[in-house]
Amino acid sequence: MELRLAAAVAAGKATTWASRRLGLGAGSNFPGKVMLRLHPRAPEEMAARLPRGCVLVSGTNGKTTTSNLLAAMLREGGMSPVHNRVGANLVTGITAALAQASDLAGNPRGDIGLFEVDEATLPAAVTRLRPRLVIITNLFRDQLDRYGELETLARKMDGALGTLSPDAKVLLNADDPLVASLGKESPASLYYYGIECEEVTEASLRHAADSKHCRTCRTALSFSAHYFGHMGKYFCPRCGSSRPETHFSAVRVRPRGTAGSEVSLSTPRWEADLDLGLPGIYNVHNLLAAAGGACLLGLGREEVTRGVAGYATAFGRGERIPVDGRELFLVLSKNPTGFNEVIRTLKGEGTGLVVLAALNDRIADGRDVSWIWDVDFEELAPLPRHLVATGTRAYDMALRMKYAGLDPSRLEVHGDLKGALRAALERAREGETVYALTTYTATLDLRRLLSRLGAAPALWEGN
Amino acid sequence: MKGLDLRICHLYPELMNIYGDRGNVIALVRRCAWRGIEVTVGALSLGDPLDPGRYDLYFIGGGQDREQMLVCEDLSTEKGEALREAVEGGAALLSICGGYQLLGKSFLTWTGEYLPGISLFDVETVGGDTRFIGNVAVRCELEGAEGVLVGFENHSGRTRLGPGCRPLGRVLSGHGNNGEDGTEGCVYRKAVGTYLHGSLLPKNPRLADWLILNALRRRHDLEGLPPLDDSLEQAAHGAALALVRRERRLPARAARKRSP
Ligand SMILES: [Zn+2]
Repeated sequence: MELRLAAAVAAGKATTWASRRLGLGAGSNFPGKVMLRLHPRAPEEMAARLPRGCVLVSGTNGKTTTSNLLAAMLREGGMSPVHNRVGANLVTGITAALAQASDLAGNPRGDIGLFEVDEATLPAAVTRLRPRLVIITNLFRDQLDRYGELETLARKMDGALGTLSPDAKVLLNADDPLVASLGKESPASLYYYGIECEEVTEASLRHAADSKHCRTCRTALSFSAHYFGHMGKYFCPRCGSSRPETHFSAVRVRPRGTAGSEVSLSTPRWEADLDLGLPGIYNVHNLLAAAGGACLLGLGREEVTRGVAGYATAFGRGERIPVDGRELFLVLSKNPTGFNEVIRTLKGEGTGLVVLAALNDRIADGRDVSWIWDVDFEELAPLPRHLVATGTRAYDMALRMKYAGLDPSRLEVHGDLKGALRAALERAREGETVYALTTYTATLDLRRLLSRLGAAPALWEGN
Repeated sequence: MKGLDLRICHLYPELMNIYGDRGNVIALVRRCAWRGIEVTVGALSLGDPLDPGRYDLYFIGGGQDREQMLVCEDLSTEKGEALREAVEGGAALLSICGGYQLLGKSFLTWTGEYLPGISLFDVETVGGDTRFIGNVAVRCELEGAEGVLVGFENHSGRTRLGPGCRPLGRVLSGHGNNGEDGTEGCVYRKAVGTYLHGSLLPKNPRLADWLILNALRRRHDLEGLPPLDDSLEQAAHGAALALVRRERRLPARAARKRSP
């Protein structure tokens, strides 16, 4: 068995190295596939060798930012996390990440596993990795065409949480009604995080909101506060079920546009004022998930504060990259709620913006681009003085902007990303920002193009 | 087009909206506004009464199982009857996916739940064990909106047409109503049911204009609509069709037909 694991690890390392050399990019699932073929129980065996166990981060949005923040906090606490990054969040990706962080005998060089797990992969990951902590950020329907309906997904996640051991912990987003309803049958202890201040609320629930009905009795939920999407403070007028009390909460949030937010964090043991360099209310949730997770793993105020301060921006989540004397502000926007939040942030940047919008329909983005009609592009339409649409579905993007009210004379379509980037940079003045809103694989493409142009470090260098 | 006004009714907008179906309403509103047609959109949801004489054009999108059940219950009252009366009285209607299923005679889900429909369309739907997911091209047979429709389907329901309605078109690529008989959607009077998301109308402006024209004719006497600059719409339609052809190797002759 030992030899078999060693062989699988060697193969995993070799294929990872080869796929990087071939430019297939980080986060490829191929090495993990090879390993699982050679040794189907490789992830179980390697995970069992992590002295501090495993943490899983699941949900539709915010997995990467949450786990990057948590990893930074764990490092401040002297731990050495084995972390799957860049969205390689299927079982194959986790297997490959374990191999990368192991010696040739399959002994991990880290002491704690920190894994981003696709919602649909959670049951398999729980069975294989026996996590001590599971964090669930939110559930949106952006991947519905892959996973079927939210309720079905929630039932599967409930099933997975039900198999946790009694000393395991589950950290749930209280502001998401569906997430907050999870785990009621689980033997593990449940903890909740959420926003507890009213200033950041929206006037009305957006149409892109998903879980607006009570999971117990199907009645429409009443909201006393909305943060974004279906996130907020809610209760069921029929059966009385309501948002759980939070253990980790943001008691004050002061947004500072694309520069981030000031957040006052409250935990059962301490409070802290944090300077979060990530824009948008959704990142306040990511901060709460990470800080709550850190506390549940035994870390204190100092580690959390230093982790946030020293945090380097997660891949594509609001990076600023200098190109040709201009600045490219790169934001991953992959579903209606994420996009609406980005638009809300951009509204703080004024009008006359140069925008590059890249819409792809590859498998990792979702083949169906209908969701762009659920985004409030009507609110983006007054902002650009020029918008360049690109990606595999460039025309769908351009058409959406036309119907959102953007004058077609301000619209330009470039199927080819390089041409689109050049067109956008030419429209921007020296020192000005180009706002690049890109779906998942378009972010990868743009990142790759920028590194070829020498503007951004390659993905697997640096962090 | 001074003096023309169109009253649109968006049925269950917060419950029945999946895969961007509300883009259809956006397209209808913009295409009216660009022509100077005064347009209003009313929203009717659970418990709201429906006055069959009030609106010219009804829209209902798709929904998830749970939402679909709530709407099914709501339509089983006199509201369903009123909607049928509206269509009999000359109103136009577009229903997508879950909305289309509920306007048929019945929907038996894969899990065995029986949802009675309002029988506006002579169709019956039975849930299947797999979902039909993917880009679709359909040769539209609607008089006045002939051409190729492009969209995206995502449904497990298999819908079969009875003699009381005709298909919206023939599948060139994709599954359509049931994956077997080659039909997609249905038409009864000025009411259209279809599985196509996309959103459907922005990339298929001829169908959008067919709905607007026929809805206007309920209260206004007019020959046709003045054309709009649809070059971007046509480019998006062409790009979507090229994608379908690449995926499914659609015969070139179908694609050469005039786009809607
Ligand atoms: Zn309830």
